[in-house]
Amino acid sequence: MIEFHNVFFSYQPDKEILKNINLKINKGELLAIIGPNGAGKTTLLKHINGLLKPQKGYVKVLGMNTKETTVATLARHVGFVFQNPDHQLFAETVEKEIMFALINFNFPEHEIKERVERILHELDLVKYRNKSPFVLSGGERKRVALASVLCYDPSILILDEPTIGQDYRQKLNLINLISKLNKEGKTVIIVTHDIEFVADFIPRCIIMSDGRIIADGPTEEVLTNSKLLLENSLLLPQLVEISLALDINPPTINFEKLCSIIKKIIEMKEL
Amino acid sequence: MKIFEFEYKCETSIIHKLDPRAKLVYVILFTVLTIYFTNPLILLLIFLSSVPMAILGKIVRKWLISIKSSLFFIIFIFLFNFIGIFWTTGKIIDTIIISIAMTIRFISLISIFSIFFLSTSPEDLMQSMIKLKIPYEYVLTFNMAIRFVPTLAREAQTIIDAQRSRGLEFEKGNIFQKVKKYIPILIPLIISSLRRAEVIADAMESRAFGASKTRSFLYTLTMSKKDFIFISICIITFTIFLFLRMFSYIQ
Repeated sequence: MIEFHNVFFSYQPDKEILKNINLKINKGELLAIIGPNGAGKTTLLKHINGLLKPQKGYVKVLGMNTKETTVATLARHVGFVFQNPDHQLFAETVEKEIMFALINFNFPEHEIKERVERILHELDLVKYRNKSPFVLSGGERKRVALASVLCYDPSILILDEPTIGQDYRQKLNLINLISKLNKEGKTVIIVTHDIEFVADFIPRCIIMSDGRIIADGPTEEVLTNSKLLLENSLLLPQLVEISLALDINPPTINFEKLCSIIKKIIEMKEL
Repeated sequence: MKIFEFEYKCETSIIHKLDPRAKLVYVILFTVLTIYFTNPLILLLIFLSSVPMAILGKIVRKWLISIKSSLFFIIFIFLFNFIGIFWTTGKIIDTIIISIAMTIRFISLISIFSIFFLSTSPEDLMQSMIKLKIPYEYVLTFNMAIRFVPTLAREAQTIIDAQRSRGLEFEKGNIFQKVKKYIPILIPLIISSLRRAEVIADAMESRAFGASKTRSFLYTLTMSKKDFIFISICIITFTIFLFLRMFSYIQ
């Protein structure tokens, strides 16, 4: 569905940001991309909807080569929610903000109304529908930005740092929403620094560092590789740290599994 | 769609090392000259006199870019003068001469000012404004405005990317529709600038900005021998040009 083949990219002639990226993402996958600042995560994302075009190699999305396809065509299938909601909100009301993309994509009027209604309910924004997006709090603005993309139902969803500025409850809501969208068959790609968020529910994890993909696999496998994480200035998930401290081998990111192992240790000590 | 790059690059040339006040003398004197003269030949001479400055300052490439980017205005000024003067006088040769003179005058002004700004660091500019007894608050405001141009350009690029990701197409539509498409770019840009300005003001006040009436400075500007030599050259050239005027009267 999404395919990167030997992709190189640089903004300035002598400083490569992406170095030989090879990546395949299948339909309906849910994956996270983590890595230190400046690793090239956002640059990679911008290749998926064609905002950036590879200088070497190619990127194919749903069979379309991004070099030969306009951003608007790709955007219809690839929803991209930017890190800072202030970079896209501009309309007078939340409702109009959500309509923007629908109008751009030429949806018929009755469908626009229907979709706006649905998304307002889904993201708990009904009470703000006639308010200006600028008077909302940071977390609410972030939800409006998300709504303005989700409304046109793209089959691929890209979220750049969705958890920043969200309290714990909103984070749980976000997890539920993402899981639900993923179950409906959407491909979801998340870039984040929040390693616990990844460990909690995302099945596939990619680590990027210095423009390269240095790990790609099941989250359990990638995030328990303590050596790899520490080498790339990433924090270990707390559960992995506990596992290491208790000499549990192999370490785990699964809460229930860890609990049962610890219980067993305690029982053995008591005997 | 790419936003232009505008950033002062620290370089070390003779022109860069000059005191900004000396360069300001150059700007003022030569601006007076371009406005004073209407003879296209002399205006061309004034323009040519700025070329060695660009070469000595090693800023030829950027200097050319700034002239090139005002090409639209250059053409506009030529056509506007041409039509306007021909309409009122009806003399074709006079019209062409005056239109050319006006165009060269404009190019010279661009050249002089871009040499000044391309070869003067924002800090030097700030220091010289303080020396000219302009209140510090105004100097700082001016300096920060310049300092944030690259930040703003980067931010504009991000906003353009974000709106294109929501299906905004700049390529389509007639000129009015195209202008309308800049609203989703401008509003977020203005709002986030205002938000940032507020944060910066708070951050500065929490670091005691404005706590005492007098400020100390890490480094101050001093005029050296080369600055006085440069000023003298400027004044001499200025007088020569004035003599040219008198000479042309006699003829």
